[in-house]
Amino acid sequence: MEVNLATGGKSIAKACFVTTGATAPFEALIESVLHPSSIEALQNAGYTHLLVQYGAAKKLFDDRAKIARQSLLEHPLKTEHLEIGGFDFSLDGLKEQFQLVQCSNGVVISHAGSGSILAALRYQVPLIVVPNTLLLDNHQDELANAMAKSNYLLRGDVKNLAPAILEAENFKQKMAQFPPITSGKHRETKSFAGIMDEMLGFVE
Amino acid sequence: MAPPPASLWALSFFLALLVTLFVAATLRLLSILPHVRFQPKPLCKQPPVATRILIILGSGGHTHEMFYLLRDLDTSKYTHRTYVVSSGDAFSAQRAVEFEQALEQRETVKFESKEPESRNPDVFLNGTGIEKQQHAVRTPHLGPENYNIAIVPRARKIHQSLFTTPFTSLHTLLSSFPVLLSSPPLLPDQLPQTPYEAAARDLPDLVITNGPATAVILVLASLILKFFNIRGAQSRGKMKSVYVESFARVKTLSLSGRLLVRVVDRFLVQWEELEGKAGRAEYCGILV
Repeated sequence: MEVNLATGGKSIAKACFVTTGATAPFEALIESVLHPSSIEALQNAGYTHLLVQYGAAKKLFDDRAKIARQSLLEHPLKTEHLEIGGFDFSLDGLKEQFQLVQCSNGVVISHAGSGSILAALRYQVPLIVVPNTLLLDNHQDELANAMAKSNYLLRGDVKNLAPAILEAENFKQKMAQFPPITSGKHRETKSFAGIMDEMLGFVE
Repeated sequence: MAPPPASLWALSFFLALLVTLFVAATLRLLSILPHVRFQPKPLCKQPPVATRILIILGSGGHTHEMFYLLRDLDTSKYTHRTYVVSSGDAFSAQRAVEFEQALEQRETVKFESKEPESRNPDVFLNGTGIEKQQHAVRTPHLGPENYNIAIVPRARKIHQSLFTTPFTSLHTLLSSFPVLLSSPPLLPDQLPQTPYEAAARDLPDLVITNGPATAVILVLASLILKFFNIRGAQSRGKMKSVYVESFARVKTLSLSGRLLVRVVDRFLVQWEELEGKAGRAEYCGILV
């Protein structure tokens, strides 16, 4: 049961998109997002679609998604039905998925790779970043904490995602602009183009 | 007392020569290495009409961040771009082509959205014409003749033994010189016809990197060119270098960063905690 993105735009009222990294998928994140507590939080927050980019971990996703769908059928909440779908890779980036979240006022849940963070934030969507705590000598945790401190994103815990999912509801109001504004009167930082100009003597 | 044997004279002469060379080299290095902080040029100096910049790309993450950094690149100022990729890194080469295509597209959109009468801006309006004219000469320089992609051999392949790494690195170093010295001519054996072509065939004015291993070697090669002032590398103030530490580095510098922090003209960091590392890191906020 795949989420059909081509026609999905109309019927998707609120989407949650999960990206786990292409080369080495963050398996614990797949398990965590399909855990009953996360599913319940998503339903309470009114999500209608959960879309997971699972990379090489197809088997794990299929197993967990099956269990989650079954329990959704057995214990239907009064809220809208939550559709669960997934795909492995997308050759032309995740633009379509980010846009889907953007126009449905949803949320992106991502592993803490800097590439994914930068890509998702360009779409001005609430982003929950989940560092992989099993990686040693990794800077993911530092980056996620620093970004969360500046209100660019929310930091999620892989052991329990529900609080972050609920927090994302109100996060949009206090979310900081990314990338920071580099010109005009709300200027916060220098732009790299400005630094290049400075170095070669191009002065306005 | 018998006079010392000839070999002893030779040895002491050799030692004296070595010490002299060492002192001279140190003084030269101190003169070419940047001062503690970058001093912007005095404002009166006229910026160059045509420039060449060298952009060092690296594996996935570095390349991604590099194109975020360059998103507002003005091709009317930076008229020739050389993208350096490691052999086998088709991804980075592809991204460079896409980036250039996007620049072209952006310019087309900008041109079409302008009012027809304002398409030729800065025509002589009144007495201020001359000053205006100097700015008006700048036009975007886009398309394949205004950029090139240079490939250098990889310094260290994955799983390559540490023993052979110095040799492959030397190979990379030697391959870096032609890349720095010039971009390939559009037609073989043709002399540059315009200032833009001349700049493209000259040493780069600016070297931009964000930390792949290749960058360390290319910056080293640029230092060697400056050391011997080859083609006026030092006296003409060519090859200014800027290093941007990865956005993912919050508390500690990367290996490339630690190697280059005292060597590049400007060393930029994106997180406050890294400000002032090695007495040189400039905190600029998030740049990507």
